[in-house]
Amino acid sequence: MAHRILIVDDHPSFRASARVVLESEGFDVVGEAVDGASALHECCRLRPEVVLLDVQLPDIDGFNVCERITAYAEHPTVIMTSSRDGSDFGPLITTSGACGFVPKAELSGERVQELLGP
Amino acid sequence: MSGLRRALALVAIEAIVVGLVALAIVLSSDHVDARGANAAIGLFLGWSFVGTGLYAWWRRPDNRFGVLMTAVGFAFFLGSLTAADASWLFTIGVLLSNLYLAVFAHMLLAYPDGRIDSPRVRKVLAAGYGLAIVGPLPTLMLADLQDEGCTNCPDSAISLGDHGVLYTILDVLTSAVAVVIVGYILYMLVQRWQAASQPQRRAMAPVTWSGICLLVVLVGQLTTMAVNGPDALENATSLLGLIFFALTPYGFLFGLLRSRVVQASAVSELLRRMGDASDGTTLRELLSKALGDRSLQVVYWLEEARKWVDASGRPASLPAEDDPARAWTAVERDGRRVGAIVHDRTLCEDEELIRSVAAAAGLSIENERLQAQLRARVEELRRSRARIVEAGTAERRRLERNLHDGAQQRLVALSLTLRLAQGRLRKDPDGAENLLGGAQDELGRALEELRELARGIHPAVLSDRGLKAALEALAGRSPVPVELERTPPERLPAPVEAAAYFVVAEALTNVVKYANASQARISVTRSNGHAVVEVADDGVGGADPGRGSGLRGLADRISALDGTMVLTSPEGAGTLLRAEIPV
Repeated sequence: MAHRILIVDDHPSFRASARVVLESEGFDVVGEAVDGASALHECCRLRPEVVLLDVQLPDIDGFNVCERITAYAEHPTVIMTSSRDGSDFGPLITTSGACGFVPKAELSGERVQELLGP
Repeated sequence: MSGLRRALALVAIEAIVVGLVALAIVLSSDHVDARGANAAIGLFLGWSFVGTGLYAWWRRPDNRFGVLMTAVGFAFFLGSLTAADASWLFTIGVLLSNLYLAVFAHMLLAYPDGRIDSPRVRKVLAAGYGLAIVGPLPTLMLADLQDEGCTNCPDSAISLGDHGVLYTILDVLTSAVAVVIVGYILYMLVQRWQAASQPQRRAMAPVTWSGICLLVVLVGQLTTMAVNGPDALENATSLLGLIFFALTPYGFLFGLLRSRVVQASAVSELLRRMGDASDGTTLRELLSKALGDRSLQVVYWLEEARKWVDASGRPASLPAEDDPARAWTAVERDGRRVGAIVHDRTLCEDEELIRSVAAAAGLSIENERLQAQLRARVEELRRSRARIVEAGTAERRRLERNLHDGAQQRLVALSLTLRLAQGRLRKDPDGAENLLGGAQDELGRALEELRELARGIHPAVLSDRGLKAALEALAGRSPVPVELERTPPERLPAPVEAAAYFVVAEALTNVVKYANASQARISVTRSNGHAVVEVADDGVGGADPGRGSGLRGLADRISALDGTMVLTSPEGAGTLLRAEIPV
């Protein structure tokens, strides 16, 4: 069954591109959120299996949002993304509870699937 | 002879006449014991107060203390009428015999500035005056004076006969009221002493303490009389009271003399120690010691910046004209203001001392002023440098943010679109073509954003083609019509050109954002070794120089080149930004 995924990013051009890329590779994009607060709200409402979460959001820091999402008992898998390189963030990605990181320019269904595992 | 001197001389002659009349009355009295001694003491005391009072009056005509002290002397002479043999004169004498004590209390409470501002104190004083006049009435109207120890006294002119019981009751009552009033005056004096600062206490001490002692004795005396104590005790307290009363004018003179001696030694000590640079004592400490004011501060005048600063170069403020506690005295050198001594207001009473100290300290204050000026400049430089560093950091943050939010996002989207197009190239060539078209547009926008950003960092046209070309380009891109009036024909040093360019760029940004102008004009000229940059608009004016960090950052950038920037923006009459940068 296709993974239900929520895209969280404040740049509309990226959200649009990411939706096309992921949907073309069989993902079910169930919603989009533009900042940390609406990401937390949409997570509760839509119950996605995967959240593609931008590191730099206008209100709450992406890592902080990730910690809050993964604090729930049955939480979705969180994959962090950014236009910066993953090495810029050091160990923050793993300590925040995310399952992995995809640079925005390299986003594809295949990369997301690899991080989610079999 | 001045008007004041003539008036004082007249009062002195009156005092001599009044004193001699009093002397004659006492010497010719048939009911006063030891007439010679009594007359001499009376004359000595009266003249002591009048003489000292006149001196104080002459020295400080604005201060009513001298008038009050003179009045005490005259009021004291009135008491001599009790020695008169004529019944009506004797009666008036007894009635007025305590008046000098009320005037004396008035003088004490008004010391040292001669004023009584508190309504509470005025009420107590009014009660004191009232009691001084009313107090002797029971004795004069109801008592048998012979029984009261005044053998051979003339009869009271207002006697109603001997009413022993009523008299005793009223006499005890008036004595009790007198004890309360005198006690309250004592309490106020002690309270005032406790609240006084060190220099105030030094000025108040001789008069206040001899006055307090007299009042204490008076309370004792009144109590003894009220309870009808032994005569020996009454006589002893009377004598003691007389001594303290006599001491008061001399206490005042002693205070003056001491301040003269203190003044002379303070100034010579100050001059000696200021000459001894190895001492290690600061100027503030020296002045504080010379004037006996531990709270003293020295501030310095910076003519260029037209402001007061402390020794560390930080802005300082002076006490207001009507500050009740603090005052300041300007220090000048060769007619120029160099600083000020901020001190306790009481020191204003000793104007000569503070002026001598200020004059003696002129050279040292001038030297310290130069140091304070240097420190103020260093402080301003430090702040400006910190602002430049902060502005640099903020600028890098802004660039990173702009790159990240702008071109980088577009390139990310472009990368994803190209990958999608690649995937569809064989299966869906039309879809792929659409995607590539979109990618082309996205790339164009990314390039435009990068260009704009690069121009903000440093416009290439400025380095390559000079200020005129760069300003023309700036004017051409502005949504508000801009006229470039003048630019220097030759190239200016690169930092000056860059500063001038950014002044114009920031000014035009502000014109577009806030001025609501229909046009703007730019001019860059060379004048007196400076590049003068002017940007004017015909907008709404009322621009706030403190608004935003843009102007502040520009001002720092220009001051780093030793230049200045002035914003003139009257409400409704356009805005003119003018910068002068040394070339």
